[in-house]
Amino acid sequence: MRDRVLILSVFVVASCGLAYELIAGALASYLLGDTVLQFSSIIGCYLFAMGVGSHLSRYVKDEDALARFIDVELLVGIVGGLSATILFSIFAWASTPFRTVLYALVFLIGVLVGMEIPLVMRVLYGRKAELREMVSRVLTFDYLGALAVSLLFPLVLAPRLGMSRTALVFGLLNAGVALFTAQVFGKELHGKRGIRLRGTAVAVVLIAGLAFSSQLTHWAEQSVFGDQIIHAETTPYQRMVVTRWQDDLRLYLNGNLQFSTRDEHRYHEALVHPAMQSLPGARSVLVLGGGDGLAVRELLKYPKLEHITLVDLDPAMTKLFSTSETLTAINQHSLTNPRVKVINADAGQWLETDTGSYDAIIIDLPDPSNFALGKLYSVPMYRLVSKHLAEHGYVVVQSTSPYFAPHAFWCVVATLKEAGFYTWPYHANVPSFGEWGYVLAGKHDSFTQPDHYDVPLRFLDASSTREMFHFPSDMVAPEVEPNRLNNQSLVHYFEQDWHRVIR
Amino acid sequence: MPGMAEGHILRDGLRDAAKLPSPSGELECDVAIFGSGVAGMTAAWRLAKAGRRNILVIAGPEPDGNAAGASMAGQACPSGAHYLPLPSMESRHVREMLADVGVIISDPFGHRPEFDERILVHAQQERLLRAGKWHEDLLPDEASTTQERSEHQRFLRYVEQLKTATGNDGKRAFAIPIALSSQDAQWRALDRLNFRDWLTREGYRSAPLHWYANYACRDDYGTSYEHTSAYAGLHYFASRAGEARNAEPGAVLTWPDGLQGMMRALRSKIGFGAHLDNSTAPRQMTGFAASIQIRNKAVDALVVQPASGTASLRTLRVRARHAICAMPLHVAAHVVEDMRGYGFDPATHLPQSAPWMIANFLMRRFPEERAAAQLAWDNVIYEGKGLGYVVATHQLIRVAKPEHAVFTAYNALSDRSPQDSRRWLETASPAQLLERAAGDMHLAYEQLWPYVERVDITLRGHAMASPAPGYLNNKGLLALREVDGPLQFAHSDMSGYSVFEEAAWWGEMAARRLL
Repeated sequence: MRDRVLILSVFVVASCGLAYELIAGALASYLLGDTVLQFSSIIGCYLFAMGVGSHLSRYVKDEDALARFIDVELLVGIVGGLSATILFSIFAWASTPFRTVLYALVFLIGVLVGMEIPLVMRVLYGRKAELREMVSRVLTFDYLGALAVSLLFPLVLAPRLGMSRTALVFGLLNAGVALFTAQVFGKELHGKRGIRLRGTAVAVVLIAGLAFSSQLTHWAEQSVFGDQIIHAETTPYQRMVVTRWQDDLRLYLNGNLQFSTRDEHRYHEALVHPAMQSLPGARSVLVLGGGDGLAVRELLKYPKLEHITLVDLDPAMTKLFSTSETLTAINQHSLTNPRVKVINADAGQWLETDTGSYDAIIIDLPDPSNFALGKLYSVPMYRLVSKHLAEHGYVVVQSTSPYFAPHAFWCVVATLKEAGFYTWPYHANVPSFGEWGYVLAGKHDSFTQPDHYDVPLRFLDASSTREMFHFPSDMVAPEVEPNRLNNQSLVHYFEQDWHRVIR
Repeated sequence: MPGMAEGHILRDGLRDAAKLPSPSGELECDVAIFGSGVAGMTAAWRLAKAGRRNILVIAGPEPDGNAAGASMAGQACPSGAHYLPLPSMESRHVREMLADVGVIISDPFGHRPEFDERILVHAQQERLLRAGKWHEDLLPDEASTTQERSEHQRFLRYVEQLKTATGNDGKRAFAIPIALSSQDAQWRALDRLNFRDWLTREGYRSAPLHWYANYACRDDYGTSYEHTSAYAGLHYFASRAGEARNAEPGAVLTWPDGLQGMMRALRSKIGFGAHLDNSTAPRQMTGFAASIQIRNKAVDALVVQPASGTASLRTLRVRARHAICAMPLHVAAHVVEDMRGYGFDPATHLPQSAPWMIANFLMRRFPEERAAAQLAWDNVIYEGKGLGYVVATHQLIRVAKPEHAVFTAYNALSDRSPQDSRRWLETASPAQLLERAAGDMHLAYEQLWPYVERVDITLRGHAMASPAPGYLNNKGLLALREVDGPLQFAHSDMSGYSVFEEAAWWGEMAARRLL
């Protein structure tokens, strides 16, 4: 009966051994990519380590074999069980030591697992089992256990539990084998209480890991942004995350990149200056969206501008960009400038009640990815905008990418035309976004591209401006319908266009 | 239950003037309009537009009638009908009205007028919950078998053809208003059959199609399709042939408070004055007619103003050179003296009327949608007991969802006879009514009640006339359409079913006779 217990533990132990190997391989290819390389190198490292473990097992004295087997089980349980959690956390922390820790862990687990089978065989052999019979049975169960896990892991465990929890469950199995063996062979062991104590401690740690694993995963997955998170906040409207990597600060709203300090000057100069340089007499400007204050920073370069009104939905956003030291350094305290008035309201609703007239209206809203946002890119919305625009003034609309989402981009152009505007579409290369599009629009038919700029700029000049207004043959306008509220063609175009790009 | 107390007083014999205080005043006018629903308001609008000023509208128990609306926590919502299809070519009166209030921006009488997009229902117009999944179409292709799909296509192709089909008199077979439809016996023979039998006769067996046809009848007529004339069933699909320059066919017009939005616009066009005794502007008074008689070729009516606030119940005498009786016919039967004299015998000619329940759910935030589906304006549940629910905030141009919204759930109580349903409505406990009202939304949302702050239920015992087989040849209705003299009749009941275009048509006809 006791021998059967040992054989059964071989089955469990073998499953656990393969499980850790699979988890490490899957995790590495998931986080680092290049599946073939990751799996090959991890299996190689693991098998080699098992060889080292088998070699080391010879230094265990015969009379200690059972006790060491139990120790090894407890160690594998805690190290293997926590392996995925540790790796996730390390990856979230920094990517450089990740490989080192990965291979160190794989090697350690491999060594321990490599000791298991030789020790079990020796215990059984010491109990006068027949060699032929014993080797056959142990190895049969060893390979059966491997088969069981190799099927369970991809079909059930990985999709249902995820990596961290799967590893924790197998860790518990190892600890269970240790405790069960200690129980059954109690009489042959010294220090049974110590074993039980250690076993319980390992189990408690693993169970706690299971209980908190969802928080751990959440934390680790957030870190998939890769960079250090310097601010994260969930507001009633969106999830805002600001990350930093070296001198690059990035803002993500609901996981979508809004700007990177490496190249946001390109985006914002292109958004603001072609219109503003053409409006030397401009006194008041309205900005819809743009709660990061970066468009306003560009506007403040015009000393004659007296009033800038910024309407952004989310008070948390404008507050963050008015108060955070790091972020106000980027927007140069634009939102707290006395010439700037910040209003937190829904753009459409606010326009319905506002009575002001503006020389320029800069519309820097999130992309039209759903029907609610699509309404802000509709014919009635642009008619409403038109009512607030001075006769000589210009509207500029950020209009997603004319390269990746041509139907969506030209739909914005068609919508503005339908609302009675003359339009001058253009585009700029913003490396972190790719080729990005804008539409300049006015109530009159005259606009001349600026051939110089009166304010200090880093990106725009006469020649880059010429290129912006030129659409080469790989960016020609497709036939599109304007975005009407009753069909929201823009939302459909946007979805279809980006669906083709992002697989 | 708007109008129920007043209606039952009339039914139980309030005309016995002894029970009422004697008239405390007298009002004279050129035209009195009894009822302020769509028919009455259209008549008032037409008369005012033609320069008539001395008009007196007696509002009736519920201003706006079936086009009534309400407000919950500052959010306007419907408590009656909620939309208007794009007007057909024949509905010139509706097109003129829409152009007058600015809903049609250009080319009002052309094939494809331009409409104010804020009033056209925004995307997504409707969706259907079937087997736990939302579909964008009421007859979703992806949820049908090949056999069903081919039947659906055949049916839709057929009703598409009917949109342009004409009779031997050159008129459209299914025109709206119905009075302008062809008299060709070939088409009108459909009225002898009920809609379910017609579908079966034509070889339609698809369960989703039968559900859809039945849904359409319940939605527009308040009766199930086996109690609806096949002519009326097809009329629903074939008559709405209106198009728009800036919307797809099949688009509809709506306001947050349903058709009350249209009524509001109409009232401001009519330009009601503030004082009842000043006859230089159209006037509107509260109250309802207890009796309408013809005396010396003029109309003499007794109007009851119920007690309100500090004012106690009083009656007024209204004398008018002309009057338009714009109230439901089952009420007119008790109010107008000698209805039989007009060729209308209430005992045989009154169309059956269907009861309705309209429940407004004030929502605090929005309930969680399955699989992140997007809420549509009209949300329908396949094989649901109700007719689905519409969202009052759908037309707002907002990015953020408002803190409060109103979901309006409609129920045609067509699962039993109208009489039994009315009895049930009268005796049901609030909990029973609520259970029925929330039925559809319970199927749509796992968690409903945490989001519901308040529910207001409007019960309409006699909400609308139902077009049962044979309704086209109701002699009483045909007679009332022709009545001319001091008293005219105007109500959608005269078309045999309750639709804005029909009510407006009879209001228009009555007003035209007076001009």
